[in-house]
Amino acid sequence: MSDANRSSTHAYKRSWWSRTGTISWREFKHTALTKAFFFGAIVVPLLFLGVSFLIPFMIDKEAPPITGTVAVIDPTGKIAQAARFIIETEGDPGLFGELPPEAKAQIKDAAGAQSPGAGAMMEAVDTRSEIDLQWRVFAQEGIDGAPTIDALKAEVQSGELVALVLLTAAGADAKATEASESGLSMFVPSSSSPKHQRLIGRAFENALQDARVQSLGIADEDFDRVRQRPQSETFRISPNGGEEEETREARMLIPAGFMFLMWICVFTSANQLLTSTIEEKSNKVMEVLLAAASPMQLLAGKILGQALVSVIMLLMYGSAAIAGLTAASLGDLITASDLVLFVLYFIMAYFMIATLMVAVGSAVSDLREAQSLVGPVMILLIIPIMLWLPISESPNGMLATITSFIPPGMPFIMILRVTAANEPVPLWQIIASLIWGYGAMFGMLWLGARIFRVGVLMQGKPPTPKELVKWAFVR
Amino acid sequence: MSLAIQIEQISKTFGSLKAVDDVSLELQQGSLCGFLGPNGAGKSTTIRMIMSIISPDRGVLRVLGGSALDNKDRIGYLPEERGLYRKMRVGEFLAYIARLKGVHPTGLQQRIHDWLERVQLPGVAKKRCEELSKGMQQKVQLLSALVHRPDLLILDEPYSGLDPLNSRLITELIRDEQRRGATIIFSTHQMHTAEALCDRVLLINKGKKVLDADLSQLRAQHDGRGIIVEPSGDPTAYANAALAAGFAARAASTQKGLVEIELREGIGGNDALTAALAAGACRSVSLRRLSLEDVFVQLVGGSVAALQSEGGSADV
Repeated sequence: MSDANRSSTHAYKRSWWSRTGTISWREFKHTALTKAFFFGAIVVPLLFLGVSFLIPFMIDKEAPPITGTVAVIDPTGKIAQAARFIIETEGDPGLFGELPPEAKAQIKDAAGAQSPGAGAMMEAVDTRSEIDLQWRVFAQEGIDGAPTIDALKAEVQSGELVALVLLTAAGADAKATEASESGLSMFVPSSSSPKHQRLIGRAFENALQDARVQSLGIADEDFDRVRQRPQSETFRISPNGGEEEETREARMLIPAGFMFLMWICVFTSANQLLTSTIEEKSNKVMEVLLAAASPMQLLAGKILGQALVSVIMLLMYGSAAIAGLTAASLGDLITASDLVLFVLYFIMAYFMIATLMVAVGSAVSDLREAQSLVGPVMILLIIPIMLWLPISESPNGMLATITSFIPPGMPFIMILRVTAANEPVPLWQIIASLIWGYGAMFGMLWLGARIFRVGVLMQGKPPTPKELVKWAFVR
Repeated sequence: MSLAIQIEQISKTFGSLKAVDDVSLELQQGSLCGFLGPNGAGKSTTIRMIMSIISPDRGVLRVLGGSALDNKDRIGYLPEERGLYRKMRVGEFLAYIARLKGVHPTGLQQRIHDWLERVQLPGVAKKRCEELSKGMQQKVQLLSALVHRPDLLILDEPYSGLDPLNSRLITELIRDEQRRGATIIFSTHQMHTAEALCDRVLLINKGKKVLDADLSQLRAQHDGRGIIVEPSGDPTAYANAALAAGFAARAASTQKGLVEIELREGIGGNDALTAALAAGACRSVSLRRLSLEDVFVQLVGGSVAALQSEGGSADV
């Protein structure tokens, strides 16, 4: 070793903040500049989005084909034929009125044709690969060689029939039946797919509905026009005078988006703080660090380092969200004041939760012990998530007003209130929440720092709440 | 020469336990002091107070002429319980501690490389701490206390878990640091190591200081107060003859066929050797040298008063 290296004294004396900065940088580097963070914060959300996008396609493709025989007892002689036509032409039928005119015409022909005689059976082979159904239609049970309902039910039970549909003669006559009476029963095997039940059931429901409309002498076209409920078109006039089509769902989701964004960014970092503090304690590296820095420098360094991680996540997810809203022409729903308040409440939320977590981490020896102390904190923090819907709908209600002044959940609820656009939060409440919230935040920082100072050197069983209070006031 | 550590009557209590009770100490700069005591005696608590990791309940503590907090960068510390970031690379860990201790980044990597070479760990800078053996981890930990070239080095059990070769390496490092001018205080249970290395010994028991003396002074006080004889004949008969001759206050034969004789008050070393030869035929006669272990057992075993009556500097 060179003499220069062995004999020189310190090159320079480090300031309080310089040492804190070194701790912060290590904390940041070992959280954010890792493969785990890259996968957890970027790859996993992207995968989640991708899978969410693909799932609907995958579900449709994976639906099993429907094959087998459907038995129908149809005293009207026309409903079964109409239902069969709907299934064979539409597959997954919507309202009858949505069928193309030529399809309706064929159904009318089928419904108006002479119904098959008692005991006669229609045979049909479907041309579509997903639907391959045989039909056995009877006017009545047990007559002219037609099986009884019990015999047909036995076939359903054994799986020979995919469905048994029972219709009544009065069911097709709107005047002869109550609106609540269906006149339609269906029996399926226990292994039947819900999708197949829906397919057959909806076809018969639509055919029956159409028959009732005809029995009243109303033309299909007239019925379709009546069924079409007029929908209001809402346009939002932005501050710069532009008109955008209003989307109520987006209106509801934007406050929730603000709150969840804050929640996720704060909790990811706060949780890292908890685990890294426990790790330093259990690895016994804490004493080495305390020989080089004061507990306050260590605490500040750790909290600020993780704050940087939190800010990076916020910028990443926040900018993606704003880009998405702008692309959907909803950018004007977020105002500059919303963003300023979001930043102020985010700082408040981060330091409150981070202090709680780092204090808990310093007081325990492992994650298992931490659970018992973190539990009550988590219950307080889940409240904003549970209440987001009622608070977004009524941001100035009593529930919203009271909960927005209770730390540590208050910043989450306040951001929910101020971004819910239906009624503005009174200015005095915003100012009061900022003053009270930042006061509470500094109080929690003071308390957390006192607990941290004692806790990091403690070993053995975790402290009781009474001991934690004692630590806070020990000299 | 100025004082590196000046402690005046510090005490520390945890709940109902008085961990450190009214301990005082003055340590000259450049000295090498062994800090001894049984488990739970209060050594680590005293060291933590010197390091300003915890504050004393009362008393005054000055380190390197000022507050320990202000001089943290000039102190190197190896805690009793070893701690490393398991996933961190060795070079990165040493650089982190060095930066916290105020070492300028310029030339830091070269300095770390040199230190790793010095402790026979070349090429481990890129390895993660968890990949190292326990002995290697201990050497890395020691380097974290040395990397900033401290003026005061505090080592809590530096030899714990090391094989003889690595123990020798650590001893050489400690001697090098003393030659460089650093003040060193280390706690250990290995009495022979402390005896070979220290020029000052501090013994603490149940939170109280029971011995604070230079090693040479301690030897002068205790050496020559006994002799060991290997008689040619029956050791028991020789022991009785020695008692009858009047120069022995106590005489006892050992399983190895030796007779240990404690001299009467006023009998000098040379007189004792002459009297021993006269008491019977002997193969060898030698002055008994009191080991540090003897002192430790005597003091911690409750014989403090006996040592005091012999004029030692025991300070209860």
